[in-house]
Amino acid sequence: MLLSLRVNGRHRRVEVRPETPLLWVLRDVLGLRGTKLGCGAGQCGACTVQIAGVAHRSCVTAVSEVGEREVTTIEGLGGDGLHPCQRAWLDEDVAQCGYCQPGMLMEAAALLRDRPHPTDAEIDRALGGHLCRCGTYQRIRRAVHRAAGGGGGAP
Amino acid sequence: MSRRAFVARGAAAGLVLALDPIRVLRGGEAEAAGLGEGLPATLAPTPFLRIAPDGSVTIVVGRSEEGQGVRTALPMLVAEELDVDLGCVALLQAQPGDDFPNLSTGGSDSVRSAWVALRDTGAAAREMLITAAASRWRVPRTECRAEDGAVVHAPSGRKAPYGSLASAAARLPVPTNPPWRSREEWRLIGTRVARVDGPAIVTGRAVYGIDARPEGALVAAVARSPVPGGTLEKVDSARAREVPGVRSVVTIPGGVAVVAETTWAAFEGRDALSVTWDESAAAGLDSAAIWKLLEGAISRSQPTRWEGDVEGALASAPRRHAAEYRYPFQAHAPLEPTSCVADARGWRCVLYAPTQAPNRVQAEVARALDLPLEAVTVNVTLIGGGFGRRLAADDAVEAARISRAVDAPVQVVFSREDDFAHDFLHPASIDRLEAGLDVHGLPVALTHAMAELHLSMFGPLDLKSPGTWEGNPRGGWDTPYRLPNLRVDYAPVASPVRTGAWRAVSYPSGVFARECFLDELAHLAGQDPLRYRLALLDGPNVRLGSRVLDRSRLRRVVALAAEKAGWGTPLGPGRGRGIACNLYDLGTAVAEVVEVEVGRDGTVRVPRVVCAVDCGQVVNLWGVEGQVESGVVWGLTHALGSEMTFRKGRVVERSFADFPVLTIDAMPRVEVHAVSTERRPSGLGEPPVPPVAPALANALFAATGVRVRTLPIGRQARPPAAAPAAGSPPRS
Ligand code: FES
Ligand code: FES
Repeated sequence: MLLSLRVNGRHRRVEVRPETPLLWVLRDVLGLRGTKLGCGAGQCGACTVQIAGVAHRSCVTAVSEVGEREVTTIEGLGGDGLHPCQRAWLDEDVAQCGYCQPGMLMEAAALLRDRPHPTDAEIDRALGGHLCRCGTYQRIRRAVHRAAGGGGGAP
Repeated sequence: MSRRAFVARGAAAGLVLALDPIRVLRGGEAEAAGLGEGLPATLAPTPFLRIAPDGSVTIVVGRSEEGQGVRTALPMLVAEELDVDLGCVALLQAQPGDDFPNLSTGGSDSVRSAWVALRDTGAAAREMLITAAASRWRVPRTECRAEDGAVVHAPSGRKAPYGSLASAAARLPVPTNPPWRSREEWRLIGTRVARVDGPAIVTGRAVYGIDARPEGALVAAVARSPVPGGTLEKVDSARAREVPGVRSVVTIPGGVAVVAETTWAAFEGRDALSVTWDESAAAGLDSAAIWKLLEGAISRSQPTRWEGDVEGALASAPRRHAAEYRYPFQAHAPLEPTSCVADARGWRCVLYAPTQAPNRVQAEVARALDLPLEAVTVNVTLIGGGFGRRLAADDAVEAARISRAVDAPVQVVFSREDDFAHDFLHPASIDRLEAGLDVHGLPVALTHAMAELHLSMFGPLDLKSPGTWEGNPRGGWDTPYRLPNLRVDYAPVASPVRTGAWRAVSYPSGVFARECFLDELAHLAGQDPLRYRLALLDGPNVRLGSRVLDRSRLRRVVALAAEKAGWGTPLGPGRGRGIACNLYDLGTAVAEVVEVEVGRDGTVRVPRVVCAVDCGQVVNLWGVEGQVESGVVWGLTHALGSEMTFRKGRVVERSFADFPVLTIDAMPRVEVHAVSTERRPSGLGEPPVPPVAPALANALFAATGVRVRTLPIGRQARPPAAAPAAGSPPRS
């Protein structure tokens, strides 16, 4: 089936079965491999993208559900530069292996749209479904605060 | 024909130094090694440092980046000696071959082994550049110095960038023992440096193994035997072949592969297969049977260290105490599922592998395809978490075989369920300890026996060569405590399931048992566990084989962690502190204090962990802090909730729903105190892991009076609940 999608500000036409998860359309059809496979079952958050500004697990979102809504992936998060979250992630040196971070960033950026100055509890709620096997959570929390303009923390 | 036999094509390579031994790669040799003009993106067959005529600096990294920060720490060492910005050092990833016969990333060894070699090479290059400048200017060498990517001659104010000197320097002899820059001159080492791959990671441009699929490659999902040793009986692939996008279904040793145009089609096709396995080889295999196997083995364990009259001292001790501890199977579950790309068309094979063991991948693929080693090229990608899982080559061999069968480049991708079901698990083990205490409550004798499944990842268990078990059980054999009579026994057991190296390998279990037992002894003796530890760490260093166990370094971090944690200050009801420590492989010293909060319903929360580490000279402070934070999360995940079990030969836990990983809402405040010393760096990827579980269990005891001797805590029949009566906990 021929579907048209809006991804990172561009119109894209893809020939796929409608039930195909958005994750695989992004990765295997459009070549946007910044969005990661972690579990394929909505349990880890690695595949998180924004659809109309709201964080979604692309591994359990059928491409046909997207419709006209704008899809933003990690490649498009910063537009032509870096999103404040990306900058904060660098300033706090968050990433270790980095594999979970695109999903974390997409979720954190969506959180900041709704809650420009989130509390720790709000960060925990938003990011609580995201797994990082490298255990970078402490720095993620700092980076979200920094991106929110609250400065990071020591060090 | 060897690469070295090529004739120079005349391109100026600049100064190219091969490492170990340090020598200049001249004209043709450098050119042949692919180091002439225009370096290729990944081809890097020789360990080298190159300063090109345009001033760019390039090094080959022989270690795989799996999040531990080698691609940042190693170039720091070179940048420091050359006095150039870290951003000026480009990295090439090493490929296995004649010059890299033994690439492997593990054992927390990356920075430790590069510390001398990379600084030596950087220093040699710098000295040669200085000599080249001095002779060009006809000035005494001593009046010149290297600074910020150039050689300067202060008296005349002349300055020459490295690039302009590189070719002249390449004609000079290599100095022996070039001096390292002094600590006072360091600008990078010991500071916080952000990882070099950060920008690529946060913009989604970083290429992991799963992203490294070349244009036109197909994707394969493999149906493997659900039980160890199962054999294929029957396949019906008719429905799988009907899935749109599926190209073919092929049988390889150990599985049936569905090859498709996209990952999704491959997974769907694989789900549509109907495969029957002969599972008789795994009859009766379940967790209970494996524990039985270990119980049987531990009574047959053999001494690996035996000092003094243990039996006599135990018999005459006024008080004895014994306990048994169990450590379960654990999965690696890196967030990036296992994957590998192979292109085996023609009489060769090119792989893109997120591997910790490139040479192993090369050798196993060569064997599987009956190719000479040189015909197998391994490109190492970034790894989305390794933790020891990527020391195996199973995925690479599958990819290579499927690629050959379908005559196209193929990427094998494991689903998350595949990744859990076909891991090389951290082995289950049992530790038994017994001690005799004197009238003051101090141990006069101690025995520590361990039965542990052998790591099948490294080949079958060979019981015929005695003596190979020296060093085991880890944490028991190298116990840091002063024990006048000591016997340590070990029983490796052939594993009925796939097992392998995990973060900290065998240390987590041995240290869990040892550090919990010590806490129990302190309690029996009516002493504070911190003071009890310090008393037993008070003593001269010990020779163990050819190495030295340095008690004083461990003592120092124990005292530091306790002080920073406020050891001894009251915490309130339902809360407690526990401490544990370890000298990892006689190198890095770690002490951790875990604070725990237990609800009436038994819910366990860890609000704070304080760590003190001595890993020798700190290279990248951010790297050190990150590895400790990471190790604490790893330790807590596996102590609190996760384990792998078997039923009817099958792995029971097949998703993150069954294998709970610590999430941000449960993240404690982790405080890291790194004691930077002048000792050679001793690695930190693994050392923070082992003390976490025992410190947590000891904290739980302090909070509830209940001893946890089997992990994970959350899966025990009766998890400890806070004592209903409020009051101060029995221990700090
Ligand atoms: S890959 Fe989508 S939630 Fe894990
Ligand atoms: S940084 Fe490795 S999984 Fe998060």
